[in-house]
Amino acid sequence: MTVRILVVDDHPVVRHGLRTLLGAHPEWEIIDEAADGFEAVDKAGRLKPDVVVLDITMPKMSGLEACRLIRKTVPTAEILIVTQHDSPHMMREALEAGARGYVVKSNASRDLLSAVEAVSQHLPFTALNGQSAESA
Amino acid sequence: MKLRILIADDHEVVRRGLCALLQAREGWEICAEAKDGREAVEKAAQLKPDVVILDVGMPNLNGLAATRQLTQHDPHCKVIVLTITDSDQVIREALDAGARGFVLKSDAARDLVSAVEALQRNRMFFTPRVNDMVLAGFLDRGHNGSNGEPPRLPKLTAREREVIQLLAEGKSSKEVACVLNLSTKTAETHRSNIMRKLGFHSIRDLVVYAVKNNIIQVQVPATFQNPTEGSAA
Repeated sequence: MTVRILVVDDHPVVRHGLRTLLGAHPEWEIIDEAADGFEAVDKAGRLKPDVVVLDITMPKMSGLEACRLIRKTVPTAEILIVTQHDSPHMMREALEAGARGYVVKSNASRDLLSAVEAVSQHLPFTALNGQSAESA
Repeated sequence: MKLRILIADDHEVVRRGLCALLQAREGWEICAEAKDGREAVEKAAQLKPDVVILDVGMPNLNGLAATRQLTQHDPHCKVIVLTITDSDQVIREALDAGARGFVLKSDAARDLVSAVEALQRNRMFFTPRVNDMVLAGFLDRGHNGSNGEPPRLPKLTAREREVIQLLAEGKSSKEVACVLNLSTKTAETHRSNIMRKLGFHSIRDLVVYAVKNNIIQVQVPATFQNPTEGSAA
């Protein structure tokens, strides 16, 4: 099944890295990139991705705020947070904002593909450092 | 002959991005990757890369300390420092450590290839802010006869800086000894010397010092950050 993905991070080098990791899956398509929360909300509204891979700490609008708005405007899009914050508190905030998945950036190579796989099927996926992934 | 590059960053997703950027260039290859400064120093010694790209904020041995070790071992070693901030202090420390290139992580996609090209031609590469600071320091010396630097911190050895980072990351003297391949007694001696030189009485003082001096970097939850500021990668 083709999964259409929007990649959102304020650092181009991280977006490059996410693209490279996600490119390992032949049926997934990176439809676009965004560098801040505003751009993410705008592009999600126009492009209707299946999955938004979303950083939290970004200029102009944080990923949490963008997550809330995208869930309202494009309810079919699932949000996967990929963040440097290895924190249960932050993970709870992200899930409350409507994210379906939460992955710590330092574990992206381990968790990213499984997480996108899960959330694209509307299943939760959360993993902090030192924890095995939890998915339904 | 290919230009061999070693990259070090604790985040694999950043390493993937750096690899994608640099390998797209014909004639360049990533000869090794490292996830902290210690691994970078070890691999550089084994593989003798032409250029080493080091993130500043890495665990175990940060990028500035690793730069210092690399350039002490080989003064011709070409190091590019990747950083999330171009604060005066980080710039000063990077230059002092012997870095020949200085690139902001947020600008890496734009500047990193140019930086590697510059080093390949035996030139240096700095952000405009670093150039301004170097020029201002030079002019200041010319006018005032002083070097314009802030008061010097107590002189610490490279080994003591390594010990500070490990202690500030929460390791015990025994763990420090294990990481640095020292006896516990020697690690404890380093610890006492550091506390004496800096006039500290507790590990808390040491942690504050390490954060203030960019020896370790602390994650600030997004909810406490200025929403207009960018993030660390």
